[in-house]
Amino acid sequence: MRHKIPVTKTVKYWKGLEEGRIYKTICRKCGREYHPPQTNCSFCGRETEWAEVNGEGIIETFTTVHAIPKGFEWSGPYTIAIASFGNVRVMGWAENVKVGDRVRAYTAKDESGVWKIYFEVI
Amino acid sequence: MQELAFEAVDEALKDAGLTQDNIDISIVGCAGTRSYELMPAVPVNEYCGFAGKGPVRVEAACATGSAAIYVAYTSIVSGIADVAIAIGVEKMTEVETAVSLAIGGRSGNYLWEFHQYGTTFPAYYAMHATAHMAKYGTTEKQLALAAVKAHRNAAKNPKAHFQKEITVEDVLNSRMIAYPLKLYDCSPISDGASAAILASEEKVEELGLDAVWIEGIGYSSDTSNMTRRESFVGLKATVDAAKMAYRMAKIDNPLNQLDLATVHDCFTIAEIMAYEDLGFCRKGEGGKFIESGESDFGGKLPVNTFGGLKAKGHPLAATGVAMVYEIVKQLREDAGSLQVDLKIYRALTHNVGGTGHFCWVFVFGR
Repeated sequence: MRHKIPVTKTVKYWKGLEEGRIYKTICRKCGREYHPPQTNCSFCGRETEWAEVNGEGIIETFTTVHAIPKGFEWSGPYTIAIASFGNVRVMGWAENVKVGDRVRAYTAKDESGVWKIYFEVI
Repeated sequence: MQELAFEAVDEALKDAGLTQDNIDISIVGCAGTRSYELMPAVPVNEYCGFAGKGPVRVEAACATGSAAIYVAYTSIVSGIADVAIAIGVEKMTEVETAVSLAIGGRSGNYLWEFHQYGTTFPAYYAMHATAHMAKYGTTEKQLALAAVKAHRNAAKNPKAHFQKEITVEDVLNSRMIAYPLKLYDCSPISDGASAAILASEEKVEELGLDAVWIEGIGYSSDTSNMTRRESFVGLKATVDAAKMAYRMAKIDNPLNQLDLATVHDCFTIAEIMAYEDLGFCRKGEGGKFIESGESDFGGKLPVNTFGGLKAKGHPLAATGVAMVYEIVKQLREDAGSLQVDLKIYRALTHNVGGTGHFCWVFVFGR
């Protein structure tokens, strides 16, 4: 089954990946930060503001997927990692990481045409 | 699916000496998507003789079975029903493995995780294994011990998916699924069904039923996105559900106040974390706990006497009800060569949905 997913509220994030930017959102009232970004603060009901995820991240965990799910058959084994950047954590693809590594995040298009976040060890 | 569900329903009705006429409500649990009937409660209830008594389908991912038990329980406690049946049924083998992996990954979070990063359920738990190993020095060999124990027990369980013993070497040499989890660290893709009949105190007496009682209930849930979790070395939903169940059952020292437990070992790391999150040992010492033998026959708290999800199999919605099946057999002292020596006549079930997305803990007593 195919779905048409409307992303009107978060289009800034999806377009941002193509511009090399990684966005999060922040609620100015309660201070909660959201990544993945969302335009509603779940708890205040206020509209959040957009901000960029910058700087160095630290790898909290990772795995290398060898049993590939349908949809990713074009790829050989890939490594999914989660890194913390201040008050948010970000998921991305990486290579040769260990827990505790300092990384920078960048965006790129994969071979199937999907824009995503990658981590590079500093 | 309906034929599979009937095998379990028929066994449950015969065990209780009841027929469909005695049942006031049927709660069908099925995680679905991998099976062809998209709204499975209705065809299952029709085939099992409950058309007219099945108003709802329950889903809580791999904790669906426990959720079905809970809904059956609340129907009785509300006074609306006197006797209820909870049916957990899952057909997972109708799709190829790569599709099954994709469905599992999508079931975490499609938009922000699977779409870009190709997450799978092995991958989610593997990330917990990586974090646990980095923080506490847990080893792949300690993880393997959980799989070896599971298979050793399942070899004596005629209902198990795998009834063959394996060794630590077998686990360590099996092919990598999602680092560091290898094939034998992962529960299989299974088809299965399980059913449990619940009744009020009055009905148990009136019908002369050999009952085991729900003495504690706990539940919790956690964020969809992994990036919004508090940590990757345990499942907060387990900790919170256990607290709630222990409070209701008045348990403050589970190791001393339970005879046995079934925990949700969808992957070996899940069993190690369950020991910690359920309070059987301190955080980070799950690897040492399994090495100690305390979670095996002869230990303080045998865990997964039925072979766990790893070897008994893990048909998603059936598992929670199958855990109850095992506990009932054990507390009735009807578990044959897998019988635990009972001292307290109390046991616990721990059933997780997804990667700690849902958690249900029940305490049973007799």
